[in-house]
Formats: sequence, structure tokens, C-alpha cells
Amino acid sequence: MHLFLLIGLLAFSILAILSRDLLKSAISLAVASIFLALVFFRMNAVYAGVFELSVVAGLITVLFITAITLTRGDGDVAESRGHRIVFPLFFLALAVVDLLVMKKLLGQIPAIQGSESGTFSQVLWNQRTFDLVGQVGAISAGVLAVLALFRRDDRHGNAASDGGDTGGRHE
Amino acid sequence: MNPQNLLIPVLLPLLLALFSFLLPRGIKRLREIVSVLGAALFVYVAVSFFGGKETMLTLPWLGHGIDFELRLYQFSQFILLAVSGFTFLIVLYSTVRMAGNPRLREYYGYLFLTAAMSAGAVLANNFVPLVFFWEGLLITLYALITIGGKGSHRTAVKAFLIGGFCDFCMILGIAILWSQTGTLRLSDISVVPQGLTAVSFYLMMIGAVAKAGSMPFHTWIPDAAVDAPVAVMAFIPAALEKLLGIYMLSRICLDIFRLEVNSTPALVLMTLGALTIVLAVFMALIQKDLKKLLSFHAVSQVGYMMLGIGTAIPIGIAGGIFHMINHAMYKSGLFLAAGSVEQQAGTTELKKLGGLARSMPLTALGFIVCAAAISGIWPLNGFVSKEMVFHGSYETGYTIFTIAAWLGAILTFASFLKAGHSVFFGPRGLETAAVKESRSPIYIPILVLAALCVLFGVYNALPLRLFIQPILAGHAAPGEHLDFTAHALAVFNPIALISMGCLLIAFALHVFGFRRGGNKAYLASEPIHRLPVLRTLYDLAEARVFDLYEQGIKGLQAFSRFLFRFVDRPIDAFFEKFVVQIGRAATGALKAVHNGLYANYLAWAIGGLVIIVWAIGALTR
Amino acid sequence: MLFLFIIVPLVLAGLLPLLGKVSKRLLPDLLASAAMLFLLVLAVFSARPLIADGGIIQQAFWFGAPLNIRLLLDGFSLFMLFTISLVSFAVTIYSINYMEHYGAKANYYALLLAMIAGMNGLVLSGDLFTLYVFLEVAAIASYALVAFGRGHDELEASFKYLMLSAVASAFVLLSIAVIFGVTGGVSFGAVAQGLKTLNIKYVVGFCSGLFLAGFGLKAALVPFHSWLPDAHPSAPAPISAMLSGVLIKVSGVYAMTRIFLGVFGLTPALTTVLTVMGIVSIFVGALAALGQNDIKRMLAYSSISQIGYVVLAFGIGTPLGILAGLFHLFNHALFKSLLFLNAGAVEQSTGTRSLDKMGGLAKVMPLTAVTSAIGSLAIAGVPPLNGFWSKLLIIIALVQAKMHVLAALAVLGSVITLWYYLVLQHQAFFGKLNEAWQGVKEAPFWMSAATVLLALLCIVTGLAFPFVIQSWLQPAADVLGKGVGVALNFIGF
Repeated sequence: MHLFLLIGLLAFSILAILSRDLLKSAISLAVASIFLALVFFRMNAVYAGVFELSVVAGLITVLFITAITLTRGDGDVAESRGHRIVFPLFFLALAVVDLLVMKKLLGQIPAIQGSESGTFSQVLWNQRTFDLVGQVGAISAGVLAVLALFRRDDRHGNAASDGGDTGGRHE
Repeated sequence: MNPQNLLIPVLLPLLLALFSFLLPRGIKRLREIVSVLGAALFVYVAVSFFGGKETMLTLPWLGHGIDFELRLYQFSQFILLAVSGFTFLIVLYSTVRMAGNPRLREYYGYLFLTAAMSAGAVLANNFVPLVFFWEGLLITLYALITIGGKGSHRTAVKAFLIGGFCDFCMILGIAILWSQTGTLRLSDISVVPQGLTAVSFYLMMIGAVAKAGSMPFHTWIPDAAVDAPVAVMAFIPAALEKLLGIYMLSRICLDIFRLEVNSTPALVLMTLGALTIVLAVFMALIQKDLKKLLSFHAVSQVGYMMLGIGTAIPIGIAGGIFHMINHAMYKSGLFLAAGSVEQQAGTTELKKLGGLARSMPLTALGFIVCAAAISGIWPLNGFVSKEMVFHGSYETGYTIFTIAAWLGAILTFASFLKAGHSVFFGPRGLETAAVKESRSPIYIPILVLAALCVLFGVYNALPLRLFIQPILAGHAAPGEHLDFTAHALAVFNPIALISMGCLLIAFALHVFGFRRGGNKAYLASEPIHRLPVLRTLYDLAEARVFDLYEQGIKGLQAFSRFLFRFVDRPIDAFFEKFVVQIGRAATGALKAVHNGLYANYLAWAIGGLVIIVWAIGALTR
Repeated sequence: MLFLFIIVPLVLAGLLPLLGKVSKRLLPDLLASAAMLFLLVLAVFSARPLIADGGIIQQAFWFGAPLNIRLLLDGFSLFMLFTISLVSFAVTIYSINYMEHYGAKANYYALLLAMIAGMNGLVLSGDLFTLYVFLEVAAIASYALVAFGRGHDELEASFKYLMLSAVASAFVLLSIAVIFGVTGGVSFGAVAQGLKTLNIKYVVGFCSGLFLAGFGLKAALVPFHSWLPDAHPSAPAPISAMLSGVLIKVSGVYAMTRIFLGVFGLTPALTTVLTVMGIVSIFVGALAALGQNDIKRMLAYSSISQIGYVVLAFGIGTPLGILAGLFHLFNHALFKSLLFLNAGAVEQSTGTRSLDKMGGLAKVMPLTAVTSAIGSLAIAGVPPLNGFWSKLLIIIALVQAKMHVLAALAVLGSVITLWYYLVLQHQAFFGKLNEAWQGVKEAPFWMSAATVLLALLCIVTGLAFPFVIQSWLQPAADVLGKGVGVALNFIGF
């Protein structure tokens, strides 16, 4: 069952990269994250699964789809053909190396029980309070970033919200 | 006293310099007021240091014995007092003389920087900070000369290069001394100069006497007399450089090296001194511009100081050092008076001036007193110090030096008779329209210095006991009486009588030349000018044939042309073809590779990761 | 009290957008500058005595009630705090004038303060995961700051920076996860202890590689450097100065060094890899900088090169090497921010960044020309400025460690550095004045004040370098020299 979930995750991730249509790509990402959430649930990391689902499969997908729909211009993205060949080769090579090396590496890792334990809320509020400050800081930074990048321009008379212009364009 | 206070004489002028640099050009009076007050404060600091115990400040700096050390003892207290005093007088003078100069901000800044560097050089007890401050003076001198206006750049470079070369000799000497003694602290070194240390002595001597302006390193001074502002001339070549150079020379001959009477280094020093006296005064005699005349005298008087110190006899050394401070006072006064004349009459050419004693009485009084002092007329200070030098050089047994000194005295007096007569007496010159006396900030410093000349002459026990004797304490042989006063003021001994005879000869020469020249004072030196051999020599000197610097420059230019054609061009071709092309190729390749494609960049990152992990794995044993 | 380093900028960052509605310019300028000055004073005076006996762990309090937040301060952290505060202060003052023509100063200062809070938190953390979180805080703020002007180039550069950084963060997180799995803890002490008792060299090697890739990207080491030359030219000049001057050092070099020297311990494999990466960065950066026409792009490549020197020095691992690396890190913070601030002044006055179009600016912008000359001479390693001493120490350390080839290459790199900085100075400031710039004025007061401050610091650090080394660098070098021992002291963190 685990293996099925992981293969699904992998397959939809590859689809997200390789697909030419932006919308299909975003939806594949959502599906891949659902698989990941299921993996989390199976490993008893309930909070992780919930966050994964709600944030990635939910919030981020909505944002992507909104952005794609609002900026849809000429459809397909102009990309080089090369990646269709390079990527599978590279992936295959990585998979082989990975299997060989990881088996050996993982064999070396001894089994250790975690020294830090407790419920999720205990860990979040009491044990890792400093991280909480950091996370508040990260969220504030994000909010400030949005405020800064989407500000109404009082100086030069340009309209605001210029932010989505370079969505998928490369040089 | 707290050793940290020793930093004040260096930091105070530094702050004043910074203030002057930063104050915007527009604010007019504030800069002058602050400068004068600051200089007065500087004098106060120096006075408060005077008479105190010996204090040392040691700050570890670069290791290996290179520390930032300052030492206040009798000699440095005295020189510091002199430095501060001159700074104050010149600043006061400059408030009027330099007013309206477009580069006023920099002038005061560099002036105070010079004072700061001088204070540091005087107080330094370790060779490395000493060299640092010494070199800093070169830079400020360069800057101050360039304030003189067009054409001053060349002279400024000349001063800088000559000073730089001599300082290089000094640094070499210091390096040799370090290798021989193993320490850089001045107060710890005391060797007899022989062999390698003698070489070190000569090199350091060159540095010291060059700073003071001895021949053959003097050639920038007459040029600067024309190009640089006169206040700068009064400050640096006249006063500060003598103070610092002879201070250094004294330390070299008394403390660092123990100079022995009539040893080879002493003889070399005396010879150089004697030559300087004679040759420079011959040049001074025939000058037609007041400032140039004064500058050659400045060179000539250094000879007396060198001669005195070179005798290694207490009375001679005391005379040399006393002459240093005396000279600083009267030469500075003379330059300031020349500046006063220049300001009011617009020129310093002897031909065009005349009869100014009536319209500028105070300037004339100051000039006359200082001129009398430099000529060695009793009972002014110049007489006292010259007599001491004469006595000392006579006691060495080499009479030739004394004779050279007397020759110098004759011609000194003659040239000042000419100068004073041309400028202040006689009929009024055509060019000098109705001039008035200068304003008080101009004549006050002149009169102060003139008064000091009188004081130091008549009541010479004061400076001798207060300043000079403490310096020599420990250098006189036991039992020798260190009281010079009776000696010096005794008019009726053979040497003093011969000196006065010299003055009479000079007077006679002047009158003779005056009559010959058709009662024109500025032609009074022509008879000597036109003497057969001398005439050719003078012409050659005017053509700068004897100017080592100029000849050196010509030689260097020829050499550099040769190098350019045969060494530089080929190397350049090699670099151009080979190195630059390779550099360009590499850069071009890198530019092409950084093409802005995100995919590429990501590939590099991941590829890098793979390589690194593999490398670490492979290298981990 | 150490908590103030994080809380003050963070709270102020939160308040500034609101305050900005009330007062657009004066209040944000004043508050930001005052906060930075406060932190600088705090770092120099109050925090110094705390490390007198080696490092401390300080518990944070919130209005009297103890929080479960423990901050680690030792010589290395304090040194980084000092560097961050110094450069941030200069940059904040500079921004008073510079950000006038971008507008939205309150937002700008808020983001800047968030970034500084992130960096301070990173430096004070004693824990791998906390380090990661604050890394992200600083990174997010920096993405927005790079894109602040919202022009096409800025947005593209910021986007690439973001995407590459995301990959780096993923590497780092993966490595932390593996370490957590292996040792059961994430704090420095627990990890060090755990690794000591286990014999898992290859796993540690794998994690080291991941850390190197992740933090190496943050530090802009080759081959992870590609985001830097795009991010710097388009960002506002004070942000370029912050990025090059502190961010890449804190989130890249500090994190890497803390982990490799202080937690894992430096193995010969790591030494080889670090020194090779360092030397490659030196050359790629220097050679690429040679051909640049855009002044800020040239400075960006130069940063890559100089960070190469720092990493090279740390990679040697000897006490002298560590000291040299720290000194060069400090010096680079000073002169690189100075150079970027000057480039910003020039760009603002002339409107262009292209060296071809500039010329003879020394006549119209004398103060900028002088400070820029000081910065260029310092970075090129001309005595007696600070760059000379740090480069000399690096080369001596290399020679002492018998890496003669690398020493020779480092000297060669220094020559190339001198080359392109002379080109920069000549093209921009000296020579004949281009007529187009006749009417150009000198930079405004605060901008000049910031650059003069940094230039004076370069000179003073160069002249009084024994004093600087003794008071700031030696404690940091001692901490790193003790290696894993320091972390082991703080078990039970």
C-alpha cells in the first residue's frame, strides 16, 4: 500500500513537471500532494497530513489556478524540446544510483528512539517555542512581502499588482 | 602625569586640522578664530608639559618591538614648546596674510596637520612611529607648497622627492641599526659608530640634515621661496624643519650614537656644515629677491648648527642647539617681515623697494633686530650662539672650520646690510607707492620674535639653563663646568674680537659695493659677484648646474626613455597578446555560460550536489 | 536581553506598516535608524561581557515570565551579531535618502527589519531546526526586498532567486531530517553527542554534502552561485549591500561553518571539498567580473570571489586559517557594502549602471570617488587597509598548511581582483568627465555619511587590526578552534 502511494506521488510529480499545459500541471501537483498527505496519515502524523492537504492541495492549488486563469495569454509555454530527453535519462540514472546507495546508507542507520516526545500542541507551544517565534516571523515576512509587492504606487502613477507578470517565463 | 596625556599634543592639532577641513568654505571668520584659539591651547599644553618629569607612553602595536611609544623628556619638552609657539605665531599671522586665499580651508588643515605630525615626530620614542610622522610631514609640505598657486606644483614635487629620497636613506639607516642592536626603541640605543653602525649613522645623518636644509639637499628651498606662500616659508623651512632636523641630529649624535671628538663621523659632519655655511652664503649674497636671499641664509645657518654639533665638545654642541632655536626665531621673523613687505608693497624684489622704514616702522624694527641677530651682533642671541660654535670648533683643533665660520659671518652681515639697506633705507623706490604699515596680526608675531631674540641674547642664562643645559646633562665629562653664560658674554676674548672684526670687514665691503654701484644698495654685492672665478661659478649655479636634483632628474629622464624603448614596450606586447587575450577568452566563456536560464542554473545546483556528495563519500576513509 | 536582538526588529517590522500610514517618511526613518543603532550599541557594549567565560545560554523572558526559549551566544555568534548590526546600521542610514525615489519606506523598513530579525535569530539559535526556520524568515524578506522596485528585471531576478533558494532549503531540510532520524535530536549538543557515539561516516558525509549544497547556494559558492549576479544589480543598492554584505555570510557561511566546524567536526574530505570549492569560486567570480560592464554585476561576481576566499580559509581548518577566514568575512562585509552603496549613489545620480557611459565622475562626486577608491583598494588588498591583512593571513595559513599551490592561486586571484577594481575605478571615476554628467551633484547627506562611516572603518580596521583581532575575532576563532567540544558543552540545551 505504501509503495502504491509513493509511486503515485512520484508519477504525478513527474507529470506536473513534464506537462505543457499550466492548468494540468497545477492539478497534478494537487493530486501528488494528496498522495503525500495519505502517506503522512499512514505514518500517524495526523497534523502533518492535515496541513499538507489544506495548504498544498487546497490553498496553493487555488492560488495557482487563479493566477493561471487571470494571466492566460497564449496558451502553451515556449520551452525547449531537450528536456523531454534529458529528464527521463537523468531520472533513470538517479533512480539507479539512489537504489544502490540508499540501500547501503540506510543499512547503516541504527535504530534510535526519539528523545523529544509529546503531543503536537505540547511540542509546538512549549518545547519548540523559539521555532514558534521564527514561524511567526516567517509569516510576518510573507505578509510584509505581499504588502510591499502589491502596494498602491503613489509615486509614479503606475497601477499596482504587477506581480504575476513573469509567471512561467524564462529568458 | 598620566602617560595618556602625551597623546594630546598630537591629537589636538589633528582635531583642529579636521575641523578646518570639514568646515564649509562659506563660514568666514569662524575658522580663523578657532584656529587661533586652538593654537593658543596648543601652546598652553606645551607649556604645561614643560618642566615635568620624564614620562613615557607605550602602546603595543605591531609586535616584534614595533610599538607606539612617546617620550617626554627635557629635549622633547623644549622642542614641543618651540613647535607650539611657532604654530601659534604663524596661525596669527596667516589670519591676515592668507585671508582671501581660495584654498584657505586646506591651508589651515595642512598647517595643523604639520603641527600634529611634528609633535608626533618630536615625542616618538620608537623608530616606526617616528618614520610615520616624519613621512607625514612630506605630504603636508607638498600640499602647503601647492597652495602657492601656479607653477608651485613643480617645486612641491621637488621638495617631496628630495625629502623622500633622504627619508629613504634614513629608513635604511634605521633598518641597519635595528639589525645591529635588535631594538627599535630610541631611548634604549647608545652605540659608538664604527663599521656598520657608522654606515647607519651617515644614513640617518643624511635624513636629519636634509630635513634641516643642509647642502646638497637644499635646492628646493630657494624655489619654494618664490612659489610657496610666505607664511609657509616662515613656518616650515625657517622654523619647523630646523627644529626637527637638528633635534634628530642631536639625538643621533648625543643619544643614539656616541660621537667622539674628531672621529671620522664628526669630521664629516663638520666638513659638511662648514661647506654649507660658505657655499650657501655666497649664493645668498648675490640674490636680487628678498625671499630668495632669506632662503639661502636659512640653508647657510644650518651649517653652523651642524658644525656645532659635530664638534662633540659641550660648548659647541650647546651652541649648535642654541643656534637652532635662535635661528628658528630670527629667520621666521625675517620671513614674516618679508611677507609683510610683500603684502603692502606687492613685491619683494630689492630693485623695486626702498625707504620703507618711514612708512612701515614696526616691520622695519622687527627686520632690523632679526637681521642683526642673524649677523651675530652683540648682545643679541645670534652672537651668543655663534660665539659658542666658534669656541667649540676652535677647541677641536681644526682651525679651518673656524675660519669657514668666520667667512660665513662676514658675508652674512654683508648680505643683510644689502637687504636691509635696499628695502628699508635709502630713497623710496619707484614701484613702492604710498604703503602703510601692516595690520597688527602681521607685525605682532614679528615683534614678538624680535623681542625674544633680544631676550635670549641679553639674558642668555635663561634659555641656556632652562633649555640647553638639561639636554647636555650626562654628556659632559665629569668635572667640566657646564656654565656657558660667563663664557658667552665675555666680549674680550680673542675669538669674540675676531668675530667683531669680521663684522667690520663686512660693513666695509658693503660700503665699497654701495659706492661702486652708484649709490644703489641692491648693487652692493656686485663687486664680489663679478670676481673672476666666482663669476663663472655663479653663472653656473644660476643655470642649476650644481643642483643635484635637477641633474638627477635629467639623468633619470634619459634613463627612463631608454627603458621605455627597450624594456617596457616588449613586455607590454607580451602582456597584451598573451595575458589579456587569455583573460578575455575566459571571461567571454563565463559570460556565455551564464545565460539567465533558470533550468541551467538548477541543473548546475543539482549537478554540484551530486558531485559533492560523491566526492565526500570517496574521500571519507 | 539577547532576545531583544530578535524581538525589537520583529515587533518594529510588524508595527511599521501601520505607522507608515500616519507618517510616510520621518517616523519610519527615525525608528528604523534608532533600532539599528540600539542593536549596534547592544552588541558592542552589553553583549560583550557575556562571553567572557566562553559561550552562554540565556533564557528569554517575556515580561518576567520565563519562556522556553534558550539563546546560544558565544564568540562566533557575537562576532556575527556585531557584523550584522554594523552593516545594517550603515545601510539603514543610507536608505533614508536612497529609498526616497522608491517610495513606500515603511514597507521597505519593515521588510529590512524582518530580514535582520531573521539573521539575528539564525545566529543566536542553538538548534538545527531553529536555524532553518530563521534562515527562511530572512530569505522570504530578502525575496521581497530584491523585487521591491517591481520592474521587470527585478521581478525576474527575485523569482529565480526564490526558486533556487527553495531548492537549497529543501536540501537543508532533508539533511536535518536525516540527522534527526539518526541522532534523535536537532540541537547542536545532541547531534554532536550522537555522532560521536555512532560510526556512520557515509551518512554524515551524505548530510554534509546536502548541507554544503544548501548553504553553499545561500553563500553563493560555485556552482550554486547563479542567482547572485542577477539579484544584485536589480535590487535597490542598500539591499544589494545587505545581501552581499551580511545575508550570504550569515545564512551561508555562518551556518555552514557552525555545522561543519562546531557540530560535525572537520574531516579531511570536507577540507578538500571546501578548499576546492573556495578556489573555484575565487577564479570563476574574478574572471567573470573582469568582463562586466554593469557596475553592480561586477561587484556581485566579486562577492562570489571573495566568499571563495573565506570558505577557502575556513576549509583549511587550522587556527590561523579560521582566524583569517573570520577576518576576511568581517572585512568583506565592510568594503563590499561600501562599494555597493557607492554604486547606488552613482546609479542614482547618473541614472545608469553601465561603466561605458560613466567617466570622470570624481570631479562632480568627489566624496563618493574617494570612498569608492578606499573600498576598491581595501578589497584589492592594498596595505595598510584591512583587506591586505586578511588576505595576507589567508595566504600565510595556506602556506603553513602546506597547500602551496592553493596559496599561489590565491595570490593570482588577488591580482585579478586588483585588475578589475582598477578598471572599475578608472572607468567610473577618473579620466575625462563625460559631458552628460556635468550637472550631476554629490550624493545626499545620509548616503555620504553611511559611506564615509564604512570607509573610515576600513581604514581604522586596517591600521589597528591587532586591536580588532584581539577584541572581536579571537573569541570567535577560539570557539571554532575548539570544534565539536563547544557543542558538547551545551548538552541538555
